[in-house]
Amino acid sequence: MSEVTAPMGGNIWEVKVSPGDVVNEGDEVVVIEAMKMELPVVAEASGTVKEVKCQKGDAVEAGAVLVVLE
Amino acid sequence: MDIEDKIKELARRNLEAELGGGQRRIDQQHAKGKMTARERIDYLLDPGSFEELDKFVVHRCHDFGMDKKKIPGDGVVTGYGTINGRQVFIFSQDFTVFGGSLSGPFGEKVCKIMDLAIKSGAPVIGLNDSGGARIQEGVVSLGSYGEIFKRNVWASGVVPQISVIMGPCAGGAVYSPALTDFIIMVKKTSNMFITGPQVIKAVTSEEVTPEALGGAMTHNAKSGVAHFAEDSDQAALDRVKELLGFLPQNFREMPPVIECTDDPERKDKSLNKVIPTNPRVPYDIKEIIRTVLDNNLFLEVHRHWAKNMVVGFGRLNGMVVGIVANQPRFLAGCLDIDASMKCARFVRTCDAFNIPLVTFVDVPGFLPGVNQEYGGIIKHGAKIIYAYCEATVPKLTVVTRKAYGGAYDVMSSKHHDADINYAYPTAEIAVMGPEGAVNIIFRKEIEEADDPEATRERLVEEYRNNFASPFKAAELGYIDQIISPENTRPRLIKALMMLQKKRGSFPERRHGNIPL
Repeated sequence: MSEVTAPMGGNIWEVKVSPGDVVNEGDEVVVIEAMKMELPVVAEASGTVKEVKCQKGDAVEAGAVLVVLE
Repeated sequence: MDIEDKIKELARRNLEAELGGGQRRIDQQHAKGKMTARERIDYLLDPGSFEELDKFVVHRCHDFGMDKKKIPGDGVVTGYGTINGRQVFIFSQDFTVFGGSLSGPFGEKVCKIMDLAIKSGAPVIGLNDSGGARIQEGVVSLGSYGEIFKRNVWASGVVPQISVIMGPCAGGAVYSPALTDFIIMVKKTSNMFITGPQVIKAVTSEEVTPEALGGAMTHNAKSGVAHFAEDSDQAALDRVKELLGFLPQNFREMPPVIECTDDPERKDKSLNKVIPTNPRVPYDIKEIIRTVLDNNLFLEVHRHWAKNMVVGFGRLNGMVVGIVANQPRFLAGCLDIDASMKCARFVRTCDAFNIPLVTFVDVPGFLPGVNQEYGGIIKHGAKIIYAYCEATVPKLTVVTRKAYGGAYDVMSSKHHDADINYAYPTAEIAVMGPEGAVNIIFRKEIEEADDPEATRERLVEEYRNNFASPFKAAELGYIDQIISPENTRPRLIKALMMLQKKRGSFPERRHGNIPL
């Protein structure tokens, strides 16, 4: 199990995965909008998406869990 | 005894000293994947160049039965030699002798070579692998640490000091490396902490392994205490050699210039495509850095820590330069506490050793946040200003994209005496981003408009076209030249050549008071 967390606070700009998707290490799973930039958030490990904990438009804090992988 | 016998006796004693704590302990050292103190010196220095001092020093402790246990050298190998033909001083702690623990005479040996290094103007390399203070020696051991720390401070900014952590380094022992210019740690076999896991558990009930508390990646990625993490003793020593290639022998000399095999006039069209058209899309600033430098070689310092700021060494036309750059890929390239400390420390290191600075700017501003304010981003951000303003080495700046607000000022701006400031046509140099500025300047107009959203969008677009560009700054002389990205390398080299003889000075004072 591993979690993909927000590297900085901001708004969810795009969610690129759904539960059941297989992701590889380094794949973009979410894009956060912060400081007028669209920042890709990548998976730090490979796995299957178990849960997506955010949706487009959500405001998230730094460190918030965005996607759970297993 | 005739002379032959005396020479034989010397050979016997030499051999005894070279065995350190004995074959069994040497085998244990190897079993941990570590080289011995002497193997490390042999690997690092030019063959046959090592001149050892104080080989027969022993401790003078009579308590706790220590008078019956004496090993020549007393746990540290010290001396001088050359690396790629250049003089260095070195001490290498010997874990096979009393666990590398520090006694009075051990400290005196280290101090002796540090004094020689300061007097003769050559770098000091410290290979650390020690259990800490030799408890039997009591307060003598503490005195010795103190003498070493003092010399680290005396040597600071006089000669380069490089520390390699190749085993345990705990308690007071950490402060000698901490005072030096660079710390290189070996993964898995080294750790550094003030108080170890057992003490922490007793006092705060927190449970943590030595590796998690003070391993190479902890200090390279989390604390920023260390600058490099390497896979093995050999890799760490190779890094020392590489690093020394970018540093002068002392503050009076220039860093070594090597013959340039890369065309100084080389333009690179790929640079015109690195920066995305959409200002909201990040890119990798290291692509620009590598493309511009000689043979695309960039030695990144602090690679794992505060990734929103990139610092490191490279060469332009054979001359060493220190690179500082915002990294839009991480935290949007914002300045935060860690990035500020990383930047300021590196700028001061370069200035101390006559290394010109090249700064690439793409910064949307300081990172907003309660934690940042509580953590003192005000005083830490001020360090960047302080470091750049006091730096008298040649300073070149390239604004690649965003340079907004206070962050514009601090990143080697014209106002902080940068010598030549370039901007790409993609640069956006303004007091703040278009959206924020329009909301303030045109608040009333937007509120009273029939269609506020359309009005806002029109005004943002107008602001972007008129102000989010390099031209307003260029009209004021804050930007010396607006350059096409493909020309970055030849332009930087020309400016660097022009600034070869630059000298700077300050009003008389005791010393400045950098916000710490």
